Parts: sequence; structure tokens; C-alpha cells
Amino acid sequence: MAKANVTMDVRKISDQVSVIDIQGEINGFAENTLMDAYTQANAGKTQTIILNFTGLDYMNSSGIGLLVTLLIRANRLKQQLFAYGLNDHYRQIFDLTRLNEAIRVFADEREALAAAEKVLS
Amino acid sequence: MKRSSSVHPAGKPNMEESWQTIAEFAVPSEPGNERRAMEMVAGAVKGLGVPDSRFENLKTAVAEASLNAMEHGNQYNAELEVSIRVSSTPRMLSIQITDSGGDPAFMQEPGTPDLDAKLAGLQSPRGWGIFLIKNMVDEIRFNVDETHHTIELIMHLDENPSAPREG
Repeated sequence: MAKANVTMDVRKISDQVSVIDIQGEINGFAENTLMDAYTQANAGKTQTIILNFTGLDYMNSSGIGLLVTLLIRANRLKQQLFAYGLNDHYRQIFDLTRLNEAIRVFADEREALAAAEKVLS
Repeated sequence: MKRSSSVHPAGKPNMEESWQTIAEFAVPSEPGNERRAMEMVAGAVKGLGVPDSRFENLKTAVAEASLNAMEHGNQYNAELEVSIRVSSTPRMLSIQITDSGGDPAFMQEPGTPDLDAKLAGLQSPRGWGIFLIKNMVDEIRFNVDETHHTIELIMHLDENPSAPREG
């Protein structure tokens, strides 16, 4: 049986903003890792969670399903999900699935953090 | 990996050009093996002129079709293999992915997944596989018999297949 081949480290940028650094594969086996990271990122008064895809090696349709589940949870808490570090192929998949309408995509962390600060101000 | 020349097994798109089998292999139906299938196909088609812009699309389509075959077709029974045949003409590429036929439902044309409906809880968060495949290649065909399901992925090797060709 295959196991999750992904790590997700959480950085608290401020009380309102967290970054999840994703390294590896987002597939069906990543569910526990992703939801644990979300719980950790969610501590405090988090309003924006930024997904760093710079280290993404592979994502399949099950992984897209996990992102939708994450979005549902974030929406319930009126939180925003941002993303950066997606390569051209996964940007295309975000476009096709319209995930880019629900998760704002940025070129890098600096841009994502600036947008998060703007939301807070 | 076997290499041989053959008539295209589907026999249909073979009006003007003969198909050549580039590679055939099989992968056990174990979780995660869709990546193995993807990399094997990627290796087999290198040098066939798949435009760079579409190479990653082809890999994603193969991975998704293999995932479906292993999960739904073979129920992740590791004793059942998913077989893959890569064929080409100078203008087209075909990848046939065959399982031993379990749940036929996934071979049917699904409705288009709707993110809004998923976020509203009206659709499952999953169900993106066939949608992705359809958007990654030029054509997909399904073939079902009593014991096997085959999905065939067709990709044109020209960047713009409708453009006039020289010669």
C-alpha cells in the first residue's frame, strides 16, 4: 500500500496569516497530512492561508478533490486561501477546474503576503 | 517493454496511415502506480515530436486514466495488471489503457464537474479525472467488452492539426 509522499510545514507569518509549504505529491494519500497542516495553520485568528506549491512534485485528480475539501472548510470559517509557486501546467489545471477563481494565485510569496495584508487593512 | 509494428488495434483511425506500436507494458494495480505508468509512457514517447507545451498534458492524462483503471477497473487488486499500449503514426499518438473490467460506471461520460456545486456540497469534491483527461488530449475513446475496459487517448502531434501541411 502506497503512503503519503508529501510533507507540509506550517509557518505562522502573523496571527492572521499562515503559510503551508508543500513538498512532494498531492494525491489521495495526502489527505491526513493536508488536513493536519490546515488545523495547525488555523490556530489563532487566521484569516488567510497561503499554499506554497513551489515544492509540488505531482498532483492528481484526488489531490484536486482534497483542495476542494480544504476550500469548503476555509469557506465555512470565512477564511481565504491563496497560492503561489504553481508551475505552468498546474496553473493550467487551476484554470480548467476554476480553482483559480476560489484560490487566488500569485507569482511568489511576497505578492501573496502583500495581498493578504491588503485584505486585513 | 515490447516493441513491434502492428496495425492499430482499434482499426478505426487508420484510414491513411499505418500505426506502429511503440511500446507495451503492464503495471500492477497498486495505489501510486499511476505515476509509474505515466513515467513509462513519457519515456516511450520521447522523441516522437510531442510539443513541449503538451507533454505534461499527456502525462497527466495517462496518470488519470491509469488511476481510474487501477482503482475502479481493477479495484486495486495488485494481482490484476493495467496494460498500456503506445502507438503512433507520423501525425498522431495513441495510448490505450486497459483494465480487467470492474465497475463500468467510470467509463461513462460524466457530467462536467462544477466547482460551485462542489463548494455548495451538491457534488462530491472528487470526480475530476475524466474531465482532466478530456481537456489534456485531443480525443478519448472508450471500449468495453465482457472482460475488459479500454480507454484510448489520442493526441495530434502537430501543434495545430488543422493547419495546412507542407508537401
